Amino acid sequence: MPAAVRAAKVYKVFGKRAERAVKDLEAGATREEVRAYGATAAVIDVSFDVEPGEIFVVMGLSGSGKSTLIRMLNGLLVPTSGTVEVDGTDITRLKPAQLRQMRSQKVSMVFQHFALFPHRNVLENTAYGLEVRGVPVDERQHRAAQALELVGLKGWERNLPEQLSGGMRQRVGLARALAADTPIVLMDEAFSALDPLIRRDMQTQLLELQSELGKTIVFITHDLNEAMRLGDRVGVLRDGRAVQIGTAEEILNDPANDYVAQFVEDVDRTRVLTASSVMAAPIPVVGAEAGPRAALRTLRENQTSVAFVLRRDRRLVGVVHEKTIGPAVRTGQKSLDGLVDTDVQRVSPDTSVADLFAPAAESSVPLAVVDDAGRLRGVIPRVTLLAALAGNGNGNGAETADAGHDAAAAEPADTSRTEPDTAEPADTAEPAEDADASDRPAAGADPAETPAEDPADPPPDTGPAPPDAAGEERHGGQGAAR
Amino acid sequence: MNAFTAIGDWFANALAWVLGRSETPPRIPIGTWFEQGIDALRERGGAFFDLVGGFIAWVVDLLAALFHQPPATALAVGGAAVIAAAMLRTRRRAALITAAAVVALFVLEALTGVLNTLISTGGIPSFFFLWAMALFQVDFVFPPLIIALLALAAFAVLAALPGGGRRPRVVAACAVAAVLLAYGLVWLVGVPVPLLVTALFAVLAWRVAGWRLALFTVLGFLLIIAMNMWAGAMDSLALVLVASTIAVVIAVPIGIAAAYNDGVSRVVRPVLDLMQTMPAFVYLIPAVSFFSIGAVPGVIATIIFAMPPGVRLTELGIRQVDPELVEAGEAFGAPPGQILARIQFPLALSTVMAGVNQVIMLSLSMVVIAGMVGAGGLGSDVYEGVTRLQLPQGFEGGVAVVILAIFLDRLTAAVSRRSATTAARQGAEA
Repeated sequence: MPAAVRAAKVYKVFGKRAERAVKDLEAGATREEVRAYGATAAVIDVSFDVEPGEIFVVMGLSGSGKSTLIRMLNGLLVPTSGTVEVDGTDITRLKPAQLRQMRSQKVSMVFQHFALFPHRNVLENTAYGLEVRGVPVDERQHRAAQALELVGLKGWERNLPEQLSGGMRQRVGLARALAADTPIVLMDEAFSALDPLIRRDMQTQLLELQSELGKTIVFITHDLNEAMRLGDRVGVLRDGRAVQIGTAEEILNDPANDYVAQFVEDVDRTRVLTASSVMAAPIPVVGAEAGPRAALRTLRENQTSVAFVLRRDRRLVGVVHEKTIGPAVRTGQKSLDGLVDTDVQRVSPDTSVADLFAPAAESSVPLAVVDDAGRLRGVIPRVTLLAALAGNGNGNGAETADAGHDAAAAEPADTSRTEPDTAEPADTAEPAEDADASDRPAAGADPAETPAEDPADPPPDTGPAPPDAAGEERHGGQGAAR
Repeated sequence: MNAFTAIGDWFANALAWVLGRSETPPRIPIGTWFEQGIDALRERGGAFFDLVGGFIAWVVDLLAALFHQPPATALAVGGAAVIAAAMLRTRRRAALITAAAVVALFVLEALTGVLNTLISTGGIPSFFFLWAMALFQVDFVFPPLIIALLALAAFAVLAALPGGGRRPRVVAACAVAAVLLAYGLVWLVGVPVPLLVTALFAVLAWRVAGWRLALFTVLGFLLIIAMNMWAGAMDSLALVLVASTIAVVIAVPIGIAAAYNDGVSRVVRPVLDLMQTMPAFVYLIPAVSFFSIGAVPGVIATIIFAMPPGVRLTELGIRQVDPELVEAGEAFGAPPGQILARIQFPLALSTVMAGVNQVIMLSLSMVVIAGMVGAGGLGSDVYEGVTRLQLPQGFEGGVAVVILAIFLDRLTAAVSRRSATTAARQGAEA
């Protein structure tokens, strides 16, 4: 079977002296060298085959030439040199009318900003490809309605694009491409303008539709996670050149060069995950003002040998060990002075997991995650760290988060158990108040949120975590789709 | 040889002037050249200009007569046309065939007078006409009226046939009723035509722009009637409508070409500047030399003066259409003409209509100047008032111009607000 789309040594140079620029580039000139005489090389010597029924993702940052590349696949742009074959036909040699016919019958397109016609309702927009092809009104409306049903927009036929949300609009864009009933669909950053949650929905839907309809899809994106999730094969484009083409696994495991490696580095779990995304709630906790007796009781109740000691504003003082507390209780010492071991390994919530191993190895007690103000946010026992490292599945992140939730629920009880000993009735409320006053200017996090809640509730400092979760979902999703 | 010596003399003179030997600067007589060019054009293309002038004069007269004292035939034709337009969607072929048949009948009658002989020789039984002749107290049967009535009846029947949809049927019923009502009111009751035309304009204003403009239309046009300016106002209206229509018909394609091609745009822009800034009197003179005195040079001068915003706003409107939408059309394989007709132009329509509005307003502002070359209408009233120092007449003419201007402006502005998108919006709500 011939390739659905084949690009062979494709060059696209804008500006003056394009021909000469191609020759120079072939001879090994760089992009900057040809730019010196006014030629802008957008795509340089790109070759690839897209097999029928495959999702081929072209990934690159903005300015890497990917939009130019996709526009050469349906003849919107003509390559300066090289050939583009669609279904075995070299489209660079077609006359304009033949090219239009080829587009309407073989290749449809989905646009980044949807490109829906504002003066046509959803049904008319969807039927556009068939309208251009001259399909009679009744039939094209019927088929457009089917395509809309396929993308889950049944009942919206009579609405205008402006009445739809972004995700729905792009579904109309997708339906328009599907209704055109072409074997090949080009998608130019189709989901990039959507917010992340909608984007994931659309990706899932695309995978489902593709497994159902078997379209050949060329998908352009700048988002690595999207590329990894959707692509059967991925081509990485940099400065107009194809740096590597291969399956997602090949690119992840065997990056062709530093550029790809840098990209791929982003999906390395230990670099993506930060301390705050794997940490667990700090239990047990002892108030700094509490006596040894209370501390011992906390340790016993939690059946551990170590407890973290906090001030009322949750700033970390250190840890107490059962082996020092025991004798102190027996000698009748009234305070924890001198009993607290302040030599605790502290890490910031933003530390990447990769950088946690060294401190974890050196420390006998769990790592303490403290924020800039020195407040304890959570702890990382070595077990958690290893689990995070081993975790390729969904397992750990979620588990830690769950543990965090449980701890969060348990914690207030915990403090109330410890603190009454200090004979300060207002104590349970006060730490929050103190923190409130001091926290606002210092850190953005809400002090009312117990540190334990952080892992469950990632926002700011765990930024990279959700994309990674998306990456994990990819495996599941793809498995289901294939 | 002669030209060479002339050029030599000119340079000698220039040198002498530069060196201070001569008082007169070297003259470049572009005015004379322009006149020579006009004369050459007039000699070569005299027949063409006569044809164009004759056509324009005919249309202006027809339109003025329609507003002024509409003939029964015109009313029937108008009614038939309205029904035919409504049928274009559902029964395009039947409507087109009938229209072609009607036109053929008109032409046949005009060329051979076949209907006339049929009627006068008794080829058609006379009882078909006698009662009508008695009712309307006329002495003879006017064949075109018969054809027009036949056309009206044919279209009405076509629309009423089952399967054509509800809308054409309603339109047909309304049109026939309106034509009959007008016949009855004008020829049986004797209601003055201006009142009827005012009512018609008011209905138009109400449908297009709402009741406020309808109210204004009634009051304003009644004032025109009361100022005894009706005839002039209708002449001017006809002149403005003809001039603006021609201007738009020329301007829109030029605007589209300019939007598609930067080269065209660069050439067109200074020409438009010239047309707009050159005092209108200056091109009145050659217009008169081409078309002699009357409405035609007025129309021509008006077209030249009023066309530029039509071109500019069409270009702007087309260029403003989101390039991604055009690309979408291309990506689905639409040919350029289809992209223009179904994507670019509909989306540019509200801007184009703003241009049409400007064309009409500029046309109206030329009316007074056109009056100087005997174009008639309010311009003549105002011009007379000025030259004879008759303030009341000039003022009343001016007020009538203002009323017309407000009417046309609000009407076209309301149309331009109805862009393709808003129309779709209304469709979506319905």
